[in-house]
Amino acid sequence: MDGRLNEPHLGRRHFLKGAGLLAISFSLSGAMPGLGRAAPAAPKLGPYGPAADELDSWIAIDTAGFATLYTGVCELGTGSHTALLQVMAEELDIAFDHAKLQPPDTNRTPDQFVSSGSRSIAYHAVPIRQAAAEARHALVAMAAEKFKVPAEQLVVENGVVSVTGAPGKHVSYGQLIGGRQFDLKVTGAVKPKDPSLHKIVGTPVHRIDIPGKVTGSFTFAQDVKVPGMLHGRVVRPPAHGASVIEIDESSIAHLPGVVKVVRKADLIGVVCHREEEAIEAARQLKVSWSAWADLPDMKDIHQKLREVPIYAPGIPAKYPGGVIAKDGDVESALTGAAKAIKATYESPYHLHGSIGPSCAVADVRPDGVTIWSATQTAYGLREAAAKFLGLANDKVRLIFAEGAGCYGQNGADDVVIDALVLSQAVGKPVRVQWMRADETGWETYKTARVTDVRGGLDADGKIVAWESNAWGFSGYSRPEYHEPKQGGEPGSLVTAQLAGWTTPGLEEGFNGIALESAPYYTVGSKHVVFNYLGPASHRQGPIRMRVGSMRGVGSPDNVFMVESFIDELAAAAGADPVEFRLKHLSDPRTIAVVKAATERAGWQPRPAHSASAENGDIRTGRGIALFGGGKETRIASIFEVEVNRKSGAIRVKKVTVAHDCGLIVNPDGVRNQIEGGVIQGISRGLMEEVTFDRSRVTSLDWASYPIITFPDVPDEIDIVLLNRPDLPAAGVGEASTKNVWAGIANAVFDATGVRLRRLPFTPERFKEALAKQA
Amino acid sequence: MTSVAVGDETAMRRIGVTVNGTLQAGEVSVRLTLADFLRQDLKLTGTHLGCEHGVCGACTILLDGRAVRACLLLAVQVDGHSVTTVEGLAPSATVLHPLQEAFCAHHGLQCGFCTPGMLTTLVEFLKDCPDPSAEEVRVAISGNICRCTGYDSIVEATLSAAANMRDGS
Repeated sequence: MDGRLNEPHLGRRHFLKGAGLLAISFSLSGAMPGLGRAAPAAPKLGPYGPAADELDSWIAIDTAGFATLYTGVCELGTGSHTALLQVMAEELDIAFDHAKLQPPDTNRTPDQFVSSGSRSIAYHAVPIRQAAAEARHALVAMAAEKFKVPAEQLVVENGVVSVTGAPGKHVSYGQLIGGRQFDLKVTGAVKPKDPSLHKIVGTPVHRIDIPGKVTGSFTFAQDVKVPGMLHGRVVRPPAHGASVIEIDESSIAHLPGVVKVVRKADLIGVVCHREEEAIEAARQLKVSWSAWADLPDMKDIHQKLREVPIYAPGIPAKYPGGVIAKDGDVESALTGAAKAIKATYESPYHLHGSIGPSCAVADVRPDGVTIWSATQTAYGLREAAAKFLGLANDKVRLIFAEGAGCYGQNGADDVVIDALVLSQAVGKPVRVQWMRADETGWETYKTARVTDVRGGLDADGKIVAWESNAWGFSGYSRPEYHEPKQGGEPGSLVTAQLAGWTTPGLEEGFNGIALESAPYYTVGSKHVVFNYLGPASHRQGPIRMRVGSMRGVGSPDNVFMVESFIDELAAAAGADPVEFRLKHLSDPRTIAVVKAATERAGWQPRPAHSASAENGDIRTGRGIALFGGGKETRIASIFEVEVNRKSGAIRVKKVTVAHDCGLIVNPDGVRNQIEGGVIQGISRGLMEEVTFDRSRVTSLDWASYPIITFPDVPDEIDIVLLNRPDLPAAGVGEASTKNVWAGIANAVFDATGVRLRRLPFTPERFKEALAKQA
Repeated sequence: MTSVAVGDETAMRRIGVTVNGTLQAGEVSVRLTLADFLRQDLKLTGTHLGCEHGVCGACTILLDGRAVRACLLLAVQVDGHSVTTVEGLAPSATVLHPLQEAFCAHHGLQCGFCTPGMLTTLVEFLKDCPDPSAEEVRVAISGNICRCTGYDSIVEATLSAAANMRDGS
């Protein structure tokens, strides 16, 4: 592992000192960037650029012409690092294979906040592009001086600057830099390339990490090894709210390799010389716990959500009472409507389900702390760790090591607290990996949700009223937030809570969970409310089920509600669901994706549903669901399903996706993210549900929490990409998952006339809905 | 060979196993899984542990050419046998296995944590079934879980690798 254990905390500037190079950074003076925490107003490159109080080098070009990007963006298995290098190489005009990357390391890379919300390209590429454009500009100016020609006469290709029309007059970046050191500051005055000139951006460059991942040489967080490292495992309470009464250390006295049993409040762990020794010791350690059984009965969860008091402190001032949109008088509009309908949509808790359980290595020493972690927020977690240990930030170094795909906040941050506690107790580096059951039982879940909707149509089948009331817990329990930057708090981590940390975590969460719950259709009078229930964890809150952000945060539930209900209104109006949607849409980009998807899939207009057209138990149908609005990615998808009315089994056979995420950096990466989002969405929609008894989560393995495998994957996912190089890049990883549940429900309705309003759409749920309808 | 008392947590046994073509001999705990032996003792961390009970397939390795779960086997069980891990698939340091090549070319992974198990499973499969249909590939890896769900690219990569291997042979 390249981690230089306890290397002095030199700071990034020092690290860059070496032979000749050109480094470009954002200035302290404020000439650049109104970008981070205390930054002054200045040319705005995006909200997540570097902090003005942290002088950082972003790009360093060496004498051999290789450019290294120092990025704070955490690669989550989506290919974002490759795409960021494409952006840098494009602006620098260097060959892609001359672009190198230093992954997040708080001693070396700038603070780029949280790599979440599909922002890695949409937001974090912006300052990188600017820094690269300015570095190129500076190098071209140096060449202009060398050749005594105006910069306009120079062209750059593969890192070589040439004078137009003067063969032989050329110089490489490496030669320009020579043995000297250049320390440039970003000014914001240089304009990045016109997208029409892009040669690398917009092409399916092969991902830089794949070769190492197919040969086994890649180091995941789970593979990090440092000298003298010991192995730890944790022992979690058997009930979410249970506390330790007694630990019987003699219960593992017969086991080999035990170094120490560690307890900090209710955080229990064992440290051993070898990993399998720690597993066995944790398994056999006898701990007696207090009884606790205060979870609601699982079958009542949606009713319980309605009974939890609103968490007022977490509701932003601009949404008083959780009201997200209010226009006109919904009550009178409903009273006056030619037709009024209502519906309730429900969903369970969902698991991120990373294939590799969370793992971290911590080395807590008197002179400083080093952490290896698969976090999504390197600086935020470092700050949280420092607070947890009572240290200054600069005494803690966090080195990012990629984990298994996370799809939101899994246990990556939490396990760091475990590792810190265990390492501190033994004075040696300790690697802690959660067992599968620790991960599935103690990670953050997507909150269970319930939403009531009412809507009205006039005599012409136009929507005149829309009201929705949603209930749900937070979509956030990270140690850091970024709009505005705040945090570095351990309080939201369940392991810190177990260890007795009582200072609250972040209050953020409303924005994520309520995201996109307002309809993007023209609906007349509207009243959209999100009854925000605040943060919750296994150790805190009115319902002790831990919640946090999962792919799309609140959007998949909110879009499930909006896109199901718009379909129900279309059916009530006796209208074709596509035509009905188009009639109520105004955003041209959203209309464009609807048209692209329906054309590609050969949509046949039909009123209500076509169930009556088929006989027998096997029925097929098609449904549309879309999402569009704001600065976000637009998406429209056609789902084709086959339903067995007798068994209740639903199979998604084909999905046609039209997708507009603005500028596309890597079309191959975009396609993969869309495909992953759709299939994972189908998995969540058809089969996933975290189960619990009165004490604890009970779906602890892949048998009790099945996820989709090959036989259930659609035969085809047909993707139409609408590239808009003139627009900024928007997020990709989450968009394609948002509309999946509604898309399936709408297709099932078309196939059978049965409306599914409660996730997951298991055979039992289908049969229940069928019986209810009959 | 030492006899081991039932329930003896500390018993050790000497084993010799050929891993990626090299004979590895040493003393291991009788309770040590093959996965832990590979990852800890041989530092072959390409074999990933996902579920610890044989369900996810991330730790799949080849035992005498057959795909098996390394988390379900004890190191002592492979004494005298031959093990191939993902690190041993490539014919040389500079040449990748056709499946590895195809995974690179077809973007056959997202996070890549499940990939070693996919590759070893598919190596065995293509030996038995060198000219598979897409459907057969799907069935072949139905026991390997991928949460990123990059399934289609995996099928494409496998079909392409199969074609290349047929051409090459």
